[in-house]
Amino acid sequence: LFIFRESTESRPQPSPEEMQALQGAWYKWMQKFSSAIVGGDGLKPSGRLVKAGIVTDGPYTEAKEVIASFTIIQADDYDAAVAIARECPGQDTGKGCHRIEIRELGGYA
Amino acid sequence: MTEPRALVEHFFRHEFGRLVAVLTRSLGVRRLDLAEDVVQAALIEALQTWSRRGVPEDPGGWLYRTARNLAIDGLRRERTHARALPRLGEGGARESPLHEEQLEAHFADEIGDEPLRLLFVCCHEAVPAESRVALALRMLCGFSTAEIARALLTTNANVQKRIERARDRLRELDVEFDTPAAAELNARLEAVLAVVYLVFTQGCYATHGDMPIRHDLCDEGRRLARMLAAHPVGDVPAVHALLALMCFQAARFDARVAADGTIVLLEEQDRSAWNHSDVREGMAWFARSAAGDELTRYHVEAAIAWEHCRAATFADTDWRQIAGLYDTLERIAPSPLHALNRAVAEAYLQGPQAGLDLLAAVAKDDVPARYPGWHAVIGELHFRLGKHAAAAHAWQEALRWTTARADQEFLRRRLAFCRPDHGSQANE
Repeated sequence: LFIFRESTESRPQPSPEEMQALQGAWYKWMQKFSSAIVGGDGLKPSGRLVKAGIVTDGPYTEAKEVIASFTIIQADDYDAAVAIARECPGQDTGKGCHRIEIRELGGYA
Repeated sequence: MTEPRALVEHFFRHEFGRLVAVLTRSLGVRRLDLAEDVVQAALIEALQTWSRRGVPEDPGGWLYRTARNLAIDGLRRERTHARALPRLGEGGARESPLHEEQLEAHFADEIGDEPLRLLFVCCHEAVPAESRVALALRMLCGFSTAEIARALLTTNANVQKRIERARDRLRELDVEFDTPAAAELNARLEAVLAVVYLVFTQGCYATHGDMPIRHDLCDEGRRLARMLAAHPVGDVPAVHALLALMCFQAARFDARVAADGTIVLLEEQDRSAWNHSDVREGMAWFARSAAGDELTRYHVEAAIAWEHCRAATFADTDWRQIAGLYDTLERIAPSPLHALNRAVAEAYLQGPQAGLDLLAAVAKDDVPARYPGWHAVIGELHFRLGKHAAAAHAWQEALRWTTARADQEFLRRRLAFCRPDHGSQANE
């Protein structure tokens, strides 16, 4: 499981044209690793937080990072998973930079 | 998982404009800021989701639903906020917020001429002239502040200021989101054409090193003009003439720039490299522009561009015809630049001295001293007369005001010819 965490610090928003370039880069990434990628999705910015029975609304302004999206991949070991994560768009440049947390699913996948 | 799918070129940029226009129809011109914010947020959401899941089958519809929901959320939050305000002792809401149901009803309609209406709003007389192009590039073409700044050769802060001023004025005057009624159509259309042509010409002349952005401007200018022509309001000879002019000019783009990025003069261009599908499209528009008896500056400029396209070789150029057209143009739309172009035509027709005489007759106050092209032409005419000192002087002056690398390089090459050891080349 790849968990993509993004900083909540405000940074200049990408222009539509830059977004398109980024989308194109992701498209290439997905094509390249299509046999390994099982699925994934982006997450909406707001939600609910339940803690000790108390429900609060997002967005979680106090958090420094939020989980923005996730991808489930099939890899033999962590080295293989890291190799795929390294080629994710946004890793080499500062733009759209995110942290990718790689975790193995506990159950039988 | 959705099968990976590629997006059409400039999809995000053009969807931005389309969605801002559609939302503005429901939200009103006063809420351009909200429309812009939710569209930006919807695009970000799309990027996040599509990057993991792939592009959905109907990306336009996906974006539209997301932006609509974000707009409704935004309005709901504002309403909650407005209800809370009186309790906080800050007085009631100044503007009655739009009802959600109303918004839903609006959205149910089909997408129609909203982008065209938005174009008229951007070019409204309430908007300061220098803000119009910036506003149109932002709202209709989805350019970011930084991209507009690069396109218009100004700073981010300045672009931001222009857009804010435009939005303030539109809000103050409560401008309606509609194409103008027949009575004011002509005046409003003129302003729209001026903005569209400015978007295009900003891209034509490489006054800056950033080529991709500049080509985008030309493409956007033509896209806006085609959008105009596709609607009854804009399906008029002046718009057809402008489209013809843009096509004839665009046909020469590739031939204008050499492999090393320097400018190739019309005289030296490889005419077989001109884009013939652009020429053909231009001819079709040009034919349509001849309907009726209206003669706009775009008709005359298109006719001039056509004369150049028509000539099989540079030597075949009909300079008499072109000089006459520039003469007409100067009467319709007086400008020292038209005088300059006429002088060039006269110089080919009657010799360099005739051109210089014409330029000398331009009133001192009208001389665009900071326009490098002015000095470059004077230099060229002197050079052809063998007056190397005068040519060098003018070219130095041109170089002083030139910012584009390609132009600077061109002028330096010309200046090199003025050195005494190249004197023999004067007698051509």
